Amino acid sequence: MVAIEDIRARAKELLESGKVRSVLGYRRGTASVLAEPAFVTAPEDTAALVLDATCVENLALYLVNEKKRQKTQRSQDTRPLAVVAKGCDGRAITVLLQENYIKRDEVVILGVSCENGGMIDTHKLSRALRGKAATGAAFDGNGGIKVAFTAGETTVPAAEVLAARCLECTKAYPLVSDYFFGDKIDERSYSPRFTAVSAIAEKSPEERSAFWAGHFERCIRCYACRAVCPMCYCDECVVDSTSFIVNPTTSADEKACRIRWIQRSASPSENAMYHMVRAIHLAGRCTDCGECERVCPVNIPLRLLNTMLEREALEMFEYAPGLDPEQPSLISSFRDGDPNDFIR
Amino acid sequence: MEMILKKDRLGEWAAKLRGSAEVFAPVFADDSWNFCKVEPGAELTFDHGNTVRPAKGFVFPQREVLYRFRQESGEAPQLTPTLPADGPAVVFGVRPCDGRAMVRNDKVFTCGFADPYYQARRDRVVFVGLACNAPPSPNCFCLSVGGSPHAGDGLDVLMTELDGRYHVKALTAKGKEIAGIAEALFDKAGAADSSEVEKVHAAARSHPQRSIAAMEKVAEGLKRNFDSPQWDTLAQACIGCGACTYLCPSCHCFDINDEVSSHSPLAGERVRTWDNCQFPEFTMHTSGHNPRNTTGARLRQRICHKLLYFVENHNIQQCTGCGRCISHCPVGIDIVRVANVMEEAAGQ
Amino acid sequence: MSDKSSSSEAIGQADNIYLPKLARIAGIKEEVPGARGIKTFRIEFLDGDGFEHDCGQCAMISVFGKGESMISIASPPSVKEYKQFSIMRVGRVTTAIHDMKAGDIIGVRGPYGNTFPVNDWKGRNLVFIGGGVGLAPIWPVIQTAVANRSDFGKITVFYGARTSRDIMYAAELEKLRGAADVHLSVDSPEEGWEGYCGFVPANIMDKPQSADNAIAITCGPPIMIKFVIKNLSEMGFSAEQIYTTIENKMKCGVGKCGRCNAGKDYVCVKGPVYSWAQLKDMPQEY
Repeated sequence: MVAIEDIRARAKELLESGKVRSVLGYRRGTASVLAEPAFVTAPEDTAALVLDATCVENLALYLVNEKKRQKTQRSQDTRPLAVVAKGCDGRAITVLLQENYIKRDEVVILGVSCENGGMIDTHKLSRALRGKAATGAAFDGNGGIKVAFTAGETTVPAAEVLAARCLECTKAYPLVSDYFFGDKIDERSYSPRFTAVSAIAEKSPEERSAFWAGHFERCIRCYACRAVCPMCYCDECVVDSTSFIVNPTTSADEKACRIRWIQRSASPSENAMYHMVRAIHLAGRCTDCGECERVCPVNIPLRLLNTMLEREALEMFEYAPGLDPEQPSLISSFRDGDPNDFIR
Repeated sequence: MEMILKKDRLGEWAAKLRGSAEVFAPVFADDSWNFCKVEPGAELTFDHGNTVRPAKGFVFPQREVLYRFRQESGEAPQLTPTLPADGPAVVFGVRPCDGRAMVRNDKVFTCGFADPYYQARRDRVVFVGLACNAPPSPNCFCLSVGGSPHAGDGLDVLMTELDGRYHVKALTAKGKEIAGIAEALFDKAGAADSSEVEKVHAAARSHPQRSIAAMEKVAEGLKRNFDSPQWDTLAQACIGCGACTYLCPSCHCFDINDEVSSHSPLAGERVRTWDNCQFPEFTMHTSGHNPRNTTGARLRQRICHKLLYFVENHNIQQCTGCGRCISHCPVGIDIVRVANVMEEAAGQ
Repeated sequence: MSDKSSSSEAIGQADNIYLPKLARIAGIKEEVPGARGIKTFRIEFLDGDGFEHDCGQCAMISVFGKGESMISIASPPSVKEYKQFSIMRVGRVTTAIHDMKAGDIIGVRGPYGNTFPVNDWKGRNLVFIGGGVGLAPIWPVIQTAVANRSDFGKITVFYGARTSRDIMYAAELEKLRGAADVHLSVDSPEEGWEGYCGFVPANIMDKPQSADNAIAITCGPPIMIKFVIKNLSEMGFSAEQIYTTIENKMKCGVGKCGRCNAGKDYVCVKGPVYSWAQLKDMPQEY
């Protein structure tokens, strides 16, 4: 059992001792059923930290954002950030360490185990409530999730509203952590890994093409999927012609010759290109936190793209991302025994 | 013109309209409610709360080709404007907050320099509103910004759900026309109907909503606290995703880009697309100078634009209290919370 | 909502605020060579279908296939045969404009923005302070004042650039002498340069101007404007006596795309001309 009091106590201690400059955790919000990110600097504010099935955000994102913010601000506070990390979040932090985006001593990982539970999926919740907004969601201790909404409450089987990635999760706790809360439970009672993507992958190319065309047509190119992804930390994104780093010394030639790989406007071809290029750039790096899919305002099942590549990485290269900060990156390494029958 | 439509006749009305217009209504698909084309034979019921995507897409689409250009070498370019020329559309189930937002959009696009693309779409679409007997969302706050669950501004027809039937009130000439097309389906509204509507509307107004106590104080607080470091704290979780702005029924920022399909001869389209003040490069000058280069400055811009600048320019709130930005912010940034913080800060 | 394909329907350009008029480049003069060069373009509308403008206004110059850029109109309203734009090469669109030749056709939308209240300044002494390419937006006021010389008091022009090679309108500035006091400067000492060495704000301190019955009009790099205003204030100029013209990233030019606002003002409509009295109370988001 994860005792929230233990997490609060540890967070408080880290702040009181001055070991960290801030604790990134979760607290109750006012906006929706979900918990919201908390940036705690005052020890007494650690009392507001929570951990439950609504703590869906991947706080590894803020390790990236705070690092970027530090570059532009004058703050010389170089103390590490403490961050509450679930299994998927912890794997994301591990990828950031592996890629040297952050150093090990820049982060204090408060690892939490989801044990045999998991996180709710807001789209599935919406499906269960037929679009009504939930105001509360919690495990009922009996294999179900009690969901409250404005007109009342109902209980649904956990499998109906837990996120697909949680149902398929094989390691519901981070392998790398400085402090650990909960029990490291490997046996989980839901579905095998890649259940969701296999259902699509088994369809014919024509069916899959139609499936994705239908989804990409709705894309409004809000880039929320990219903004919420800790792995999408590039200052300049190749698929976004507006994210061009310009400073006073950038020459007119550089700006004039900048290629627009993908048009700004939301048309089927550009949308498809954006999503596929982003997915490929995440191959071997995506740790399936599911945030991209959650934040999509038009409910594109984005996670399927990434888990497809994750399945291939596992099948072809026995590679799973985010297990070890020392592991090589998938794209920039090779083994002698790797498939190479395409080399003629 | 007030009429009564029995609930089981709603589908027939839509069917009659389909003869001369595309008919849209809220449909639950892909786990959310959105305006979709109503297929023949499809059932039409209103249990949608509010749609995720607002009605503004009907008059201000994500992608709008302004004109095509073509230039043979050595000759003058040929420009071919591509004004929207689609037929009429009727949209059912539009909540009063989206209707009121349309009034705000009209001010932006039709006043001063008149935008012919917006006007063409605005002229062809008929908004059939549905009063909110109960708040569609836990984040509704229309009453705080001068709206109401049964306001008709910006709508062509206002429907109110009564017992077993709808009260239907045509508010504009377009509204009268689409009611007239199916005249036989309607009964005249009587005194009992009007009285029930009044009761329902009064009950709707009494439902608790999110609340901002005094908008003038919010405006004052925003003005006084422009340089406050509070903004960085309020925006700390913001990821610059743009959901708030794209889902807002009265946000209208856009970009214009040339999309070239051929270089010799030069041919392509000048395209308008939605843009977003929350994107980091929105205000970036070519020189690299960015007047709003922090999330705090960008959040401040959005809140000030909605609750201060628009009021200063047009004497009405731009925000209509639909609550979508709150419900769909991935990290819980909440305009009502921010407004209340600013209202408190007004005194300082 | 699906995006509908649109039919093409030719309509009068006056009806469509986004549709540019076409203009031919009648003449190009290279003011300043190099990577951040400045070229002056004189354009003539095709078929005489153009528009009139007032001092301070701008136009969206269109290069089809590249985009649009909002540029100040540098010729005075009295000149009807052409419109003049002095454009620095800074990015995609301006590079494309610089690559054009006399005879090429561009698009022009305008006139946009507000104007310098030149008529209100009759009888007053005018102090112009320009830096770099910032001379262009205030040039129409200088030309108007000099062309109507007896309507105005003393006219003084301060202008500076990084080096003597970066000075634009060099010949025209020389022609002003007589009608106006002209004080040129370059940032650092240069062989053969006999004028002032130093930044433009320092030059005006070197030759202090009386604030009595005077109006100062300034434009240049933001840092220059900041110090010019500071120095003018020290000289006794009130905030109402100082005018400038600001810029912001613009796309539509008609106050709708939401990008160029400083506070409640869309700079493309309510600006770009502001007195310091107005500007200092606005959010400094430009």
